[in-house]
Amino acid sequence: MTTILSLDNVSYAYEGTTKNVLQNMSADFETGLVYTIIGKSGAGKTTLLSLLSGLDVATDGRILVGKASLKKINRDTYRSRHVGVVFQSYNLLTNATALQNIVLSMSISHCPQKNKKAYAYALLKKIGIDRETADRKILKLSGGEQQRVAIARALAHNPAILIADEPTGNLDKETEDDILNIFARLAREEDRCIIIVTHSKRVTAIADVVYRIQDGCLTAENG
Amino acid sequence: MYIIQNAMQNLLRNKGRNLMMAAIIFVVIVSSVVALIINNTASGVINDYKTRFGSEVYLTVNMEKVIQESDGSSRIARPTIPAEQLLAFASSDYLLSTKMTAGGRGNSDDLKAIDEDKGPGGGPMLSMGPVPGGGGPGDSNLSSIPKTRQYYYHLFANQYDDFESGSRELTEGSRFPEKSGECLISQELLENSGLAIGDTIKINSDINDPGTGPGDETYYDIEFQLTIVGTYQDLTDEYGNSMMENAFTNRRNEIFMYIDDLASVVTEGLMGIDVNATYYLKDPDLLEAFTAELRAKGLKETFDVTTDEASYNAIVGPVVAMKGISLTFVAIVLAFGAIIVALLASLAVRERKYEIGVLRAMGMKKSRVALGLWTETITITAFCLVIGLAVGGFAAQPITNILLDQQVEAAEQAQSNSFMPQPGGSGPVAIGGGPAGPTVTAGPAPGFFGQTSAETIKSIDVAINLETILEIIVIALVLSSLAGLIAIRRITKYEPMKILMERN
Repeated sequence: MTTILSLDNVSYAYEGTTKNVLQNMSADFETGLVYTIIGKSGAGKTTLLSLLSGLDVATDGRILVGKASLKKINRDTYRSRHVGVVFQSYNLLTNATALQNIVLSMSISHCPQKNKKAYAYALLKKIGIDRETADRKILKLSGGEQQRVAIARALAHNPAILIADEPTGNLDKETEDDILNIFARLAREEDRCIIIVTHSKRVTAIADVVYRIQDGCLTAENG
Repeated sequence: MYIIQNAMQNLLRNKGRNLMMAAIIFVVIVSSVVALIINNTASGVINDYKTRFGSEVYLTVNMEKVIQESDGSSRIARPTIPAEQLLAFASSDYLLSTKMTAGGRGNSDDLKAIDEDKGPGGGPMLSMGPVPGGGGPGDSNLSSIPKTRQYYYHLFANQYDDFESGSRELTEGSRFPEKSGECLISQELLENSGLAIGDTIKINSDINDPGTGPGDETYYDIEFQLTIVGTYQDLTDEYGNSMMENAFTNRRNEIFMYIDDLASVVTEGLMGIDVNATYYLKDPDLLEAFTAELRAKGLKETFDVTTDEASYNAIVGPVVAMKGISLTFVAIVLAFGAIIVALLASLAVRERKYEIGVLRAMGMKKSRVALGLWTETITITAFCLVIGLAVGGFAAQPITNILLDQQVEAAEQAQSNSFMPQPGGSGPVAIGGGPAGPTVTAGPAPGFFGQTSAETIKSIDVAINLETILEIIVIALVLSSLAGLIAIRRITKYEPMKILMERN
């Protein structure tokens, strides 16, 4: 296990405001572990996730990827190569097929696979999406299937870090279990760092480390 | 590569929006193709006619200036251009070519004129056109003209229009005079005079200083020693359309000489030999510079230097008007097209904000997102370009016919309205154009009251050419690049997280 992502006194205030919603946060994230970030609605969980995934920039402090500051890495490159993000509302290209979503993500990341389609089919199969479903447009897939496609897309470029925002929020219990098993397997068998923002106790149950955001501060609950 | 693939997939995924975009671009392209075909063809026609009509220069007397400079004198002398000046003008670098012609009268003891018994003609004050009238035995003018100033022979230099039209032809072994001292006479005159090709003849003529008026003339006798280098057959009636029948007006008594022999004897103020010069500019736009050069070489301010604008306008006017319409049309189409394409591009980016947010969240660079959108627009444009060129090519001819018909009708209407002579008008008058004209001339005037017998262009064949294709490609590229720029400008304002949060 190695530390792959660190927060070093990170603070964040929304544009045009002076009050920090995230205050002096420090934490290390290691490979092979599942992390969950919990907290009340509006506590800043999704904001923290956007900072960790390079979608936004901290107003203060540093985010380190390995030993390099995220400020010194091109954020587009970071998103396309180092981190995979699973959004709460999936954020898939709805007029494209599941397969096209995966292949496009691989192309953006300049994945070395020669046969991207075959790789994408295999990846989707691993996540529980068969070939027929893979060739359907996103809008014709169920919520659970879309969530799986979103996870597959996040993994398509083989990132060391996977960040997920309420990944099971819209799913039934059975599908939720499936998804959580996938996350646990990705961490333990593939040595990835999994960071999940959630309200769900079922999700928290599979976590190795639980962080709580309260009053803008990040505290570890168990390890 | 994936950007192009993704762009192609997007085109198929969003058929409705792309078809609408394609329809608008198609209309812009077809309209532009038609307008540019008309414009380019019209430009070609105009340039062609401009070169033909606009390059021939006329030196005409401006009578208003002549009257202004007369100081109230009762006798206004028409200004003349000395032959040496006409020759000096011909050396201008602005000229493509110069045609010098000359005409005079003569007698010869070595020749026996055809219809000699009908008497001489061609008194000093009589007209000296290419087919001049002349006094017959009953001509009251002749009674006042001394016998020594009555002539049997017309002398011409460089006036071979009849040979070009076929009404005269050289006999076998004959040629035109090519150097000083050579002449060409009719076969009948040669035979009537008992001469042969290669014989030398002497021609007597005169030039005169008109002085203060009739009776005050001073005559200067001149003599030409000429070798007959050929003969011609005249295939027309001996007297043509001449009202007078005498030896002087008989076409068989016309003698063709070398230009320098006739022109070199004329100096300023002397009459009796007409010297004409027709100048052809390399480019009609050089008229101003040429005029300045002529002034520097001594051309009086009483002469206007013009081109045949009346004929040019009458012939090309409708085409010029049609070109103007097509240019205005293409400008409007492009302006509206650009606005519509810009709006569509802006709306497309706005509509695809979510898609852009997702792509950006996946790590796609802004430039690549913009490139993808631009590729889509370029593909639609290229597709429309191919079809638009074909459709526009077919539509251009009937549209041209309709536009030109309307313009011809309008031009004819305008011309018939302006046909009435305007009272008090005193436009430029050509030297040598009327009776009793001065001896040194510089070409005929275009016409009276701006009227011309020139035939208006009533139809033109339009076709798409490489120039039009290139222009359309440039227009299409500019329009699609405009769309691309607008997309880039909008995309740079978007942050993926904001887009996705707004959506959520």
